[in-house]
Amino acid sequence: MIELLPQAIDLIFTFEGIGVLVLGTMLGVILGALPGIGSTVAVAMILPFTLTMSQAPAILMLLAVYAGSVYGGSISAILINTPGTPQSAATCLDGYPMAQRGEAGLALGWSTIASTIGGLVSAVVLLMAAPQLAQLALNFGPIETFALILLGLTCIVSVSEGSLIKGLIAGSIGLFLGCVGGDPITGEARFTFGQFQLISGFNLLAVVIGVFALSEVLIRAAAKQEESTNLVSFSGIVLPAWSAWRGRWKVLAKSVAIGNGIGILPGTGAATAAFISYAEAQRSSPNRKNFGKGEPDGLIASESANNAVTGGALVPTMALGIPGDAITAVMLATLTLHGVTPGIRLMTDNPVLITAIFAGFFVINLMLLPMGMIVAKGAAPLLRLREGYMLVLIVLLCSVGVYFVRGNPFDLMVMGCAGILGFVLRRQGMPMAPLVIGMVLGPTLEISLRQGLIITDGSFLAFFSGHPIALVLAVCAVGMLSLPVITAARAKRTTEDT
Amino acid sequence: MGAVTERRVTSLIVLLIAAALLSQTFGQAYSGLGAFSPMFFPQIILGFWVAVATLDVVSELRRSSSSDHPRLMRVSFMAVATLFFLYGMTRLGFFLSAVPFSITSLVVLGLRNPLAILAVGIGVPAALVALFNHLLVLPLPTSPFTWWF
Repeated sequence: MIELLPQAIDLIFTFEGIGVLVLGTMLGVILGALPGIGSTVAVAMILPFTLTMSQAPAILMLLAVYAGSVYGGSISAILINTPGTPQSAATCLDGYPMAQRGEAGLALGWSTIASTIGGLVSAVVLLMAAPQLAQLALNFGPIETFALILLGLTCIVSVSEGSLIKGLIAGSIGLFLGCVGGDPITGEARFTFGQFQLISGFNLLAVVIGVFALSEVLIRAAAKQEESTNLVSFSGIVLPAWSAWRGRWKVLAKSVAIGNGIGILPGTGAATAAFISYAEAQRSSPNRKNFGKGEPDGLIASESANNAVTGGALVPTMALGIPGDAITAVMLATLTLHGVTPGIRLMTDNPVLITAIFAGFFVINLMLLPMGMIVAKGAAPLLRLREGYMLVLIVLLCSVGVYFVRGNPFDLMVMGCAGILGFVLRRQGMPMAPLVIGMVLGPTLEISLRQGLIITDGSFLAFFSGHPIALVLAVCAVGMLSLPVITAARAKRTTEDT
Repeated sequence: MGAVTERRVTSLIVLLIAAALLSQTFGQAYSGLGAFSPMFFPQIILGFWVAVATLDVVSELRRSSSSDHPRLMRVSFMAVATLFFLYGMTRLGFFLSAVPFSITSLVVLGLRNPLAILAVGIGVPAALVALFNHLLVLPLPTSPFTWWF
């Protein structure tokens, strides 16, 4: 990988490459700052603009929007006490109190430095870990792949936001949607109900944009009233002095490690990492008494952890083709659209391009610091923008994005229907991430299961008897599935004891 | 319909859809084929869906509280307007379907400044057409009347 760096750098540092890195990070920060948009919708909104670009700049633009939006969420969290993205929810706890006492610029300074360092370390982890993991996975046959996908699917448990049953239903719907179309082995049409457009199956991006972006528009339209924004006074980012960092490096290092570790685990996501890191900092920081009252350690913990997740989450997505959450599922779909197939052949098919993407991700995170300084001041007045304008813009841009993917009018109707389905299911309390993960992983799960059964003459038990890797992965999957049950039982016992 | 009833009815519909789809997977044509059957995997998935949806119906029946009522008129309008816009996009062109959608949606979403509504309702679709059709040369669907929009 290191030997490919000079070629990769040549790919990044072109006029177009630098332009998209700057523009993508800037747009990501702005879109992330606007409450309700979030990283998934931000990437979906930018997708149509990347379709005329060549491969490397297009992918770098999407990655820049992703990383930028995770940082951008902290701007609204600090200035109006409303996280722009769910990942920044923990940032409100100490960011807004700091802003209320007139230190909004300094709070954003802490969050910008912490985000930059968290993102940079995660980019190094991505650069080091993804090729190794992809190399390891080259030895996988259909049975090991089945066990691996099964393990990936267990992340549905952790992204089920409260109700496991509803998460499992959403996952089943996603897996079913992945079955619609031609059978991968016999070619026979399944569940097409006479619609020839369905023979190639549902377009993943149309469904994803529908269930995330359009359903969000409908959810916000259905809300009782628009919340008023109390924007605190803010005249620009103030970076903390070197002396102010004394005693805080430990919190930063620990939070970055937590973010990276959690990011690699499928299904946990940046919001979880931010809260776990915040809780750990609150437990171990010498300034723990000030937490919740505007303590920089709290800001460092949440912001460094949520940005550290970005690179970590891309490791299984890029190396194994297994997305851990909704945003990485969207990233996976957009990468495929741009001709990069994440998975075990990642490093063998496009070594220079992949090295350029990983190195570019490092540059993107490096740019968070100057871009944050420049964009935050300009983005702040946008927080007063009426929600209606934003909702209409989301619908227009998402429809343009879906239209450009295949130029198929049917995909537009799929997006519309997926939006309404997403709204109904979200009203029911169902999370949408399992649906998307199920739809992404379903086809590979089916092919590997059926190929495995053909190899073993229909014996499912033989999957694990002669395949130690598959056995280990299956045990991990069972462990992941039973973890919430054990945790709930333990919590119940503790409550009964007290 | 109360919010609790809404959840129960939706749960039941989700279960019935799963059961109906599962029933489609059984038949002479697929029997005895094992992993070669095109319905082998869907049967597993739909069977699982039916099982968890049944559990969900039971848990919804035991539930007593629920979330607020949504603004049904507003959300219904937005859903229908979006579907009309998406359908019209390939028939009338992007601009001619986006302008009425944007203007009516902005009004329904509570915006009252006519100048701002017209500026955004016409300006944003026009800017997108100019950008994609004429600058990036990545054409959006155009109207049957002129290639300009």
